Amino acid sequence: MKIRRDDLHVLTGSYALDAVSDAEREQFERHLRHCPSCAAEVRGLRETAARLAMTRAVPPPARMEQRVLAATYRTRQLPPLIPEHRARVPWPLAARPLPRPLPGRPLSRPFAGRSLPRRAAALAATASMTGAVALGVAQLTTRHQPQQAAVARVMGAPDARVETTGASGGRVTVVVSAALREAVVSATGMAALPAGRVYQVWVMGPSGARSAGLLHGQLLASGLRPADRIGITVEPPGGTMRPTTPPVAVLPA
Amino acid sequence: MSRPEVRQWPPAEEPGPDLAASLAQVARGDHRAFELVYGELAGPVYGVVRQVLRDPAQSEEVAQEVLLEIWRSASRFDPARGSAAAWALTIAHRRAVDRVRAENASSRREQKAAPAPDDGDVAEVVATTLEHQRVRRCLGGLTELQRESIKLAYYGGYTYPQVAELLGVAVGTVKTRIRDGLIRMRDCLEVTW
Repeated sequence: MKIRRDDLHVLTGSYALDAVSDAEREQFERHLRHCPSCAAEVRGLRETAARLAMTRAVPPPARMEQRVLAATYRTRQLPPLIPEHRARVPWPLAARPLPRPLPGRPLSRPFAGRSLPRRAAALAATASMTGAVALGVAQLTTRHQPQQAAVARVMGAPDARVETTGASGGRVTVVVSAALREAVVSATGMAALPAGRVYQVWVMGPSGARSAGLLHGQLLASGLRPADRIGITVEPPGGTMRPTTPPVAVLPA
Repeated sequence: MSRPEVRQWPPAEEPGPDLAASLAQVARGDHRAFELVYGELAGPVYGVVRQVLRDPAQSEEVAQEVLLEIWRSASRFDPARGSAAAWALTIAHRRAVDRVRAENASSRREQKAAPAPDDGDVAEVVATTLEHQRVRRCLGGLTELQRESIKLAYYGGYTYPQVAELLGVAVGTVKTRIRDGLIRMRDCLEVTW
């Protein structure tokens, strides 16, 4: 349906509230490129709509945070638009987002479940840019940095999955490949420990815990077995043979 | 005496971090900055999605997609074109509405009866903050038709022709009432964009 040009100006409100059909949306966005006053009005009305949204804020389920944060580690980001292109792209959805679920088909549940075999290929694709991934996973300065090749191997493993949890005011992230029986452990933002205390990483299995080393930047844990978990404890300098304090974080490996 | 817990969002009346600056860091792959952004936006995103979709499980799924989309397309956020919150909430609302429309399309094909429109508010949040009170007061300053049109369109996720149908008024009338009402809201809230 073609909309008369005069009517388009009135559409600013409905457009800002997403109360238009897809066809109208596209037509109106074309119009916006040539109508600076409409664009300015849309900006203000969109801000107004956002204020309406803010009043509906409710705390989301707690599990959501971990799922979303974990997903960021296996999702490549869009490149920025260069200035010449920016004006031509409707804002804020400068790129058509991830494909919408098709009508009538079961809706995808991209975050269902802890193990993510279906997303392994996507993860592997993302993780193969090892430089970028390593940069994202560990931002601490690294002293006992494992060979980048080993880290890259785990990150790029087809079965690699990401586990993450909050710990001591920061976040611990583990990328695990069950096939390689290896995991890359890293942390950001954890509370500084008093002098003479260190964070130590353990591979915890049914028969006890063995040290995987002290937590500095990225750390590679090898020889994992199916029931193992990764734990972090606070220990005396140099670490200990066995954990002497309750773990500040435990993640599945 | 036990009272239902009234949770407030945002958690406290404290100045939030500069979202636009955080988004710029997120665009450079900064996961820590994204945690800040998540902390600020997860509640509003989930809330508005749930307002439109109603179903908690589906809302959670869509809200997760939206928040990941914020991570993915942070580089496309342009502070010259609006606030970070409006950018994120536009993505959230549109994604929720897209989901509604997709489901409506599929249920039409399956010859199912459309669900009765539900105009009740999901978990009507107590207007604890000044900002909420202000929005409520400004909504109160609209005409009945403006207010109902805006609420059905935005909170209900209906298109303006559907709103017209629900209210029994002409389509053109709803279109202009939505615009007039929103402009009035904008001025009442002193939105500066």
